[in-house]
Order: sequence, then structure tokens, then C-alpha cells
Amino acid sequence: MTTGPQPATPASPMGSVVDPATDFALRGLYRHEFDRIRRDFEATGSGLASLSDRTRLVDRLTLTLWDQYFSARGNSGYAMIAVGGFGRSELFPHSDIDLLFLAEDEAARDVIKDEVRSVCQTMWDTGLRVSPVTRTLADCTRFDQDNVEFTLSLLDGRFLAGDAGLFERLHSKALPQLIGRESDVLLQSLSEMTQVRHQRFGNTIFHLEPNLKDGPGGLRDCHVSRWVGMIVALGAGRRPELISTRKNSEHAEMLDAMEFLCSSRCYLHYHHDRDDNTMTWATQEELAERGVATKSGPVTPAEWMRLYFRHAKTVARNNSQLLGQVSHGRSSLFRSFQHWRSRVSNDEFSVVDGRVYFQQASDAREAMTVLHLFTFIARHGVALSPETERRLNDAHRRLAETMPQDRHLWQHLRELLGLPHAAEALRTMHSLGLLTPAVPEFETIDLLVLRDLYHRYTVDEHTFMAIDVLHQLKNNHLICLQPFADLLLELERPELLFLALLLHDTGKGLEGADHVQSSRQLAAATVKRMQLCEEDAQTVCFLVAGHLEISSTLRRRDIYDPVAIRELAGKIGTSERLKMLTLMTLADIKAVNPEALTTWKAEDLWRLYAGTATYFVRSADKERLDAEISNEPAEKVAALLPARREALLQFLDGLPQRYLLSHSPEQVAQHFTMASHLGAEPVQLGLRDTSGQQELTLVTADRPGLFRTVAGILYGWGMDITKAAAFSNRSGIVVDSFFFKDRFRTLELNPTERERFKRSVREILMGEAWLDSLLESRLKADQKPVKLTVETRMRYDDECSPRSTLLEVVTQDRPGLLHTISSALTSEECSIEIALIDTEGPLAHDVFYITCDGKKLTAEQMRSIEWALSTELGDALPNSW
Amino acid sequence: MTKLEAVIQPAKFEAVKDALLEIGVEGMTVTEVRGHGRQKGHTEFYRGREYTVDLLPKVKIEVVLPDLMVDRAVQAMANAARTGKIGDGKIFLSRVDEAIRIRNDERGETAL
Repeated sequence: MTTGPQPATPASPMGSVVDPATDFALRGLYRHEFDRIRRDFEATGSGLASLSDRTRLVDRLTLTLWDQYFSARGNSGYAMIAVGGFGRSELFPHSDIDLLFLAEDEAARDVIKDEVRSVCQTMWDTGLRVSPVTRTLADCTRFDQDNVEFTLSLLDGRFLAGDAGLFERLHSKALPQLIGRESDVLLQSLSEMTQVRHQRFGNTIFHLEPNLKDGPGGLRDCHVSRWVGMIVALGAGRRPELISTRKNSEHAEMLDAMEFLCSSRCYLHYHHDRDDNTMTWATQEELAERGVATKSGPVTPAEWMRLYFRHAKTVARNNSQLLGQVSHGRSSLFRSFQHWRSRVSNDEFSVVDGRVYFQQASDAREAMTVLHLFTFIARHGVALSPETERRLNDAHRRLAETMPQDRHLWQHLRELLGLPHAAEALRTMHSLGLLTPAVPEFETIDLLVLRDLYHRYTVDEHTFMAIDVLHQLKNNHLICLQPFADLLLELERPELLFLALLLHDTGKGLEGADHVQSSRQLAAATVKRMQLCEEDAQTVCFLVAGHLEISSTLRRRDIYDPVAIRELAGKIGTSERLKMLTLMTLADIKAVNPEALTTWKAEDLWRLYAGTATYFVRSADKERLDAEISNEPAEKVAALLPARREALLQFLDGLPQRYLLSHSPEQVAQHFTMASHLGAEPVQLGLRDTSGQQELTLVTADRPGLFRTVAGILYGWGMDITKAAAFSNRSGIVVDSFFFKDRFRTLELNPTERERFKRSVREILMGEAWLDSLLESRLKADQKPVKLTVETRMRYDDECSPRSTLLEVVTQDRPGLLHTISSALTSEECSIEIALIDTEGPLAHDVFYITCDGKKLTAEQMRSIEWALSTELGDALPNSW
Repeated sequence: MTKLEAVIQPAKFEAVKDALLEIGVEGMTVTEVRGHGRQKGHTEFYRGREYTVDLLPKVKIEVVLPDLMVDRAVQAMANAARTGKIGDGKIFLSRVDEAIRIRNDERGETAL
């Protein structure tokens, strides 16, 4: 037999001695009972029973020790009180034992010092981790803002032994008075402590290896909810009422959740043999295999984790609502902010203290109003009030049955997705079980756990986070993310990117190795049901199918290798899709875990984007279509017009490859049809609305100054050109597209003006009206000089095209800019072969492939153009680079 | 024991990792770094702006191996990382006096 080192036997002046025999006997008793409780837990799986059994065991031990060491002193003037988890009778197998030795006054505190030490030392020797504090009654009634935890621990105080009257003075008088006096500060501190704790876990419950105690939705949140209830009650002079019975569905859900969490945490303590509350993958498998806390026996790990997340959601929601309700105790600044938010109330919803309510209770049963509600949340970032949530839960069945899934849903969703708090709105919608009735494809990833070392969140939460990453870009302070924030602002159809993000991982919930293809198929079903137009549907499916393309290039290729860039550009096709896919890649990486997107990765992603974007510009005139050579995009168009294949290929002959990539097959087919009618009408025009802008399409025979003239007409009508592209085929037919903002809403407010506008374009191009007279009044109106914040830069590239010279102009955007530049080029007798016009905020980025007499520019011509443009654009001297 | 520090092209990381695993190297430390050797940098353009890329992205792999394995590991790394172009990277070797497994205080090659 071996014996360990024996502890020194302390002796006190009063003669209290740690008795080794008692120590040994207690240790044996504790070990024996601890093992029995563990066996009971393994047999029944009841965590709550295990907690109360261990509490009773520790009660017995502490009372035995109290009798042993304090019996000589009597019971007057001091008491032993269980606090913290011990006070709540929730002692997990390896939880600390929080003990408060309460003394009447300082004299009493000094007298019991040795006995306290003996009790604690014996407990340690018995194998119990005791955390003792000795305080006088006055100490306990003094509020210390730096040690709020102590006051909170008193809320759970439970009398064990000693002076019962002293405990009553603390429990029934001093503590209620203290709480009544400091309830606002306590609630505020509790709220802040909870926020800080939640931030440590990324403010989400959806961790793949969650912490059952401290993580959001964990047991600490249950305690916080309990403390909030107690503080509010004591602050109002009432007796605290704790959730102990299933008096309504919310209480029943909370009790179920607590039972589940307690049983699971018990298992972790027994399994790890220490106070470790992280549910690792290995333990998840065991919990599932043993059916711990499931009530239905063994399940798969994924099913078990879904159960866990449901309970954690209940706890997190309850916690959030309680903390939200008590926000009235917060700072005046916060109150002012919340009050400001209440001004967002409208006919449908009112907002009080940051919580949203239905104006009409019956609206909670109307699916369209409920969709308005989530859009409202996405716009204003407000949370549901408990009452609203209850109403939505009550109406869930009806809402699930009547939730639109077609174009009516898309009308709401496209607005919601683009709003700053979209992720939170979707998260709320999902937690109420209302997202999957609208988008059934999302069901596949509901609370889905991915078992790898890289992902930290469930797939649905990862999706919401990815959406939030993009919306938060404008608030970021990292220099490496700023270019991406600017890129997001440039997107023509950001809602398509957000929809693609919502659907990008849905395939992970299906059987099969290739989640990308599964996701693409699910996305195709979604966009078809929501009746997106063909072009938008293709964009969404493309993004979902290609969402790993850029990551793959980053990982496997040299990002400065021209071949890698060309291949990537070939797969992506257009600069708009490149922008969307780049942002999607950024969001997808950043939402995997907080550390996944390093500065290193963000910088490389940007460089790959910039390199590919530049390739699109520089390669526009390199690859032209040839009627004799089969081409996949061309064949797609031909499939739409099988009877006119040959004529179509002749139309496409000589157009840049980029033209086909930047237009849908339907658009190309339409351009071809317009070109077919040139004999009857030499100027073919199309005008359509595109997400807040107008697009003018012109198909006509090329002629000198054509591009300049159209730019001038648009300027003359007060239109602000944001983007344009001009292409021509081998037969001299041009296809020009101008995207413009209607500065004075002329076309929007006067529908008849659309025809007059088109007629004006046609007449000027046909030489039946004069551009100068149209420009005259506009030039007078725009005489105010533009404040230049963007330095004008010009650059030539004579290598990137076999037949023309590239001129790149970056300058301050201003009314009539494109007309100014194209006029200068025309006056230098240049012909614009291809034009790629783009605008980003105040910066205009225009690229022209130009020729003079069908040839590349000479050095002298380049200097002459540079000088002319510098003069026109307001810079004293050319600023080339 | 010898420490191998390889600075390689990021695109070759997966191949180098697989090559090391294949010869039985199980542990490695990987760092995302930037730098350049003779490869120097180059100039890129984006929307009219010129920027110099003088520090190129690289991945640094560190492994400590028993001396008997070093030659094979160096060969595996070099073969997997090589493209034949400037910028493939370098492998540095240095002596390691001691290795200690923190968990159980094992020392020497058994701690690797």
C-alpha cells in the first residue's frame, strides 16, 4: 500500500485541528458517493438528478466539517452559505464549490479565520475544489462596481450552517436593499459582461465545437436570465419568481433546454474527468451514440447537434429578450439611440426600445406582412419583441402554408438582401422556422455541422455570416478590405450576389461528394421558382457553381502567372461577374472562422482580382470572333435562332470575344435581329430599365464620330453615363451599349418622353437634327466648374492589340465627360474601335482601342491626343505614367 | 536533428505537403509570408494606377527531422516545389540541439 504525502496538521489558538482520520474518512465517503452518482447518471442519463445528488453530497460534507470545526464556537455571529452553482444546487461533477463564510462583523471574521482554513483545507484534501470567501455583513451590502460577480453570486445564496438569523438579515433585508439601490447598474454590468462573453465566441451559438457553459446559448446564459429576473423583481420590491414549472410553452422550452444542457455538461465532466465544457467532435459522437439527453435513444452526431442547437437557440433567445427588456437601465446615450430608433415606426410596425411590434395583431398571420417585417428588420437592425415573436410562433403553421415561394418572394427578398442588417433578418426568419417555408432548399443545411478542422460554424450560420461580411465591409477599419468595400458599391446587381451567397452551400446538406454541383442544382430550382429573368438566373447559378474557382486559383496557381490569369478570366467571362465572384470568395473565406481571412489572403485575393480585371481590359481587342471557327458562346446564341445560324455567324464575325461574354445569348440574338432590320431602319435603338439605370442599345452602321455623337446626345438630355461599351464587327456594324442615370428623372416621370428621347437619338444620328442645338442649353446649365479630386491620368498600351492602340483615361467624373473625351479623339481624327467605359464614384475609368486611318497611333499622334485631352480635362500639363 | 525551413510558392504548398506526408513527415509548421529573392518584384496596373509588387506571397514550411530523414525530405520538397522558374524558393537547413514534447517532457528525436 502506498500513501501520499500527509498534509501538515494546522492548529489554531482555539484548538481547531484538521483530523487526518476525518480527512481520510471523508475522502473515502466522497469518492464512494461520487462514483455512485456517476453510475446513476450513466444508467439514467439525468443531468439534473446528478447535480442535485452531488449538491446533497457536498452539503453533507460541508455540514460535517462545520460541526467538526465550529461546534466549539456555537453558531452566533457567523454562517456558512453556499453561493454560485453550489447555492443554486447545480453542482456539476467537477464544478468548484463556492462558499461564503459570512461574519457579523470584523471581529467575528478574525475569530473564525482558522476554522475557515481548516474546513477549506479538508475539503481540498477530500478532492473538492473549494473557492471560499469570508465577508462581513457590511462587506456584502457594499456595492463594488469592479466586483459585480460577488453581488451576483449572493443572489444564489443558500444557507448551510451557522447563524440562520444572520443569513436572513443578508438574504431578506440587506441584499434586496442593495439590489433595489443598484439594480440599474447591475443590469447594465450584467448586459456588458454578457456581451463581452458572447464576443469571445463570435456572437453566435453555431460553433462546431461549442462551449456548453460560457458560449452563447450555454448555461451561463441561463444563469444570466435567472439573475436578470431576480434583479428586476428585487428592484421592484417583489419576490423573485424562478422558472420551475412548465406553466407555458416558453417555460417548458427553457426547462427542456436547461435539462439538455445539464445532462450534456455532466457527461463532459465525467468524460474529461475535469471541468472542461467544450463539446469536441469526439464527445459529440459519444453523446449521440449513447443518446445522452435525447429522450429517444441513440441518434447520429448530426442529429444530436441539431438538438443541441435548437435548445441553445431557446436559451439565447430568452437571454436576448430579457436583456433587451431591461435596457431601460442603460446609459442615456444608449437610451437616446433607442429612442431615435423608435422614430422608424410606420403604419405596420412600431419600435419601442429597439424591439419591433405589429401595429395590428392580426398582421402576424399574413405572410406578406411578415415578409415586410423581416425587410423592416433588415433595414433598421431592430429585434423582435417577445410579443411579436409569440404571435409569429402562434401563427407559424398558417405562415408556413401561405409563405410565397415565387416572384412575390423574390420581390421582397431582393430588397431585404441588399439592406444593411439582412443577415440578422434572415437569421431571425430562420430561427422562427420561416425561412425554409420560403426557400425550401435551405432546409438541407439547417443546423448542419461540418466535421473538419477549418469550419467553425454550422453551414446555415456560415451562410448568414458570409452575407453579413459583405454588408459590414463599409464599416471595416482594415486597409486590406477597403478595396473590396469599394468594389461592392460598384456592383450593378448586388442582390444577385447576396442570393447566390444564400444558396452557395445548400448542396452540403445533400448526399454526394460535390457540394458545388448540388448547390448549383438547388440554386437553379430556387431561381426558377422565384421566376428570375433568364439573365439573372444564369448569373446566380454561375456564382454558386463557381464560388470556389478563385479560391482554387489562389491556392493552386501563381497569381502573377499570365496563363493562370487568362484561364481564370476565361472561366469567369465578364468583369461584372469577376467582381461578384471576388466578393463572394472574400465573404466565403471570412465567414469560415474569424482567423480564416488573413491580411495575406485578402491582399492576394485583391491582386488576383486586379490582375484579372486588367486582363479583361487589355485583352478586349486580342480575341475576335471568326465566323469560320466554332465558338461555344456563339453556338449558344445560334441555338436560339437555328434557322438563321449562318447569318448570325456573319453578324458575329469580327466582334471581340468580350462582346459575347458580356451579353447573354438572348441579348446577342436581339442585337442580331436589330442588325437584320438595318435595311428598313438604319438606326436601331433599344431602351430598357436596369435596376435604377437605363440602358440604351444602339445597332447601326459605323461612321466617323458616332460614339462621340451618342455620348453628346445623352449629355444633351441631361443623362449621366456610368458605363458604356462599344464594339463593331467586320462588316462595320456597331453594337453600342450606354448605361446612364437619368439625372432629372425625365424618362421616369414622363413616360411619353421615352419615345421623344429615342426619336431625338435617331434624328441626330440620321443627320435630321443637330447635336449642337441640343448641347447648347446643357452647356449653359453646366457651366459651374467641377471641383477636381481625381488626378487625370492617361496611358497608352501599344502591345495589347494587334491592330489598335489602347488609351486608358482615369479622371474625375463630371457631366458630359464621355462626350468631351470622345470629341477630343474625333477631332484628332481617331476612330474608336472598342470603348469600355466605367465609373466608380467620382472616378471615371475609360478605355478606348483607337486607330488612325485604320492603323495604330504613331508617337506623334499619341502626344497630340494626350495634349488635347489634358487641356480638355482641366489639367495644365499631361500627367502620364 | 535538423530543422528545414522551406520558403516556396503558395501554389506549390499542397504538393510539398503531400510529398512530405508521403515520406512519413507528419508534423510541420506553416506560415503565410511575403518576400523576394532574385525574383525581385514587378509592376502591376489596375485602373490606371500603377503599383509595385516587391514583396511576393510565399509560404514558409518548417519541419524538424531526425538526421536520417533530412536528405529524403529535402529531395521531396525540392522536387515538389520546383517549376524551374525564378521564384521557386529556397530550403534552409540548421542544426537543432534539443526537442522537448511539452505534454510528457520527452526529449530528443522521440519528441519529434
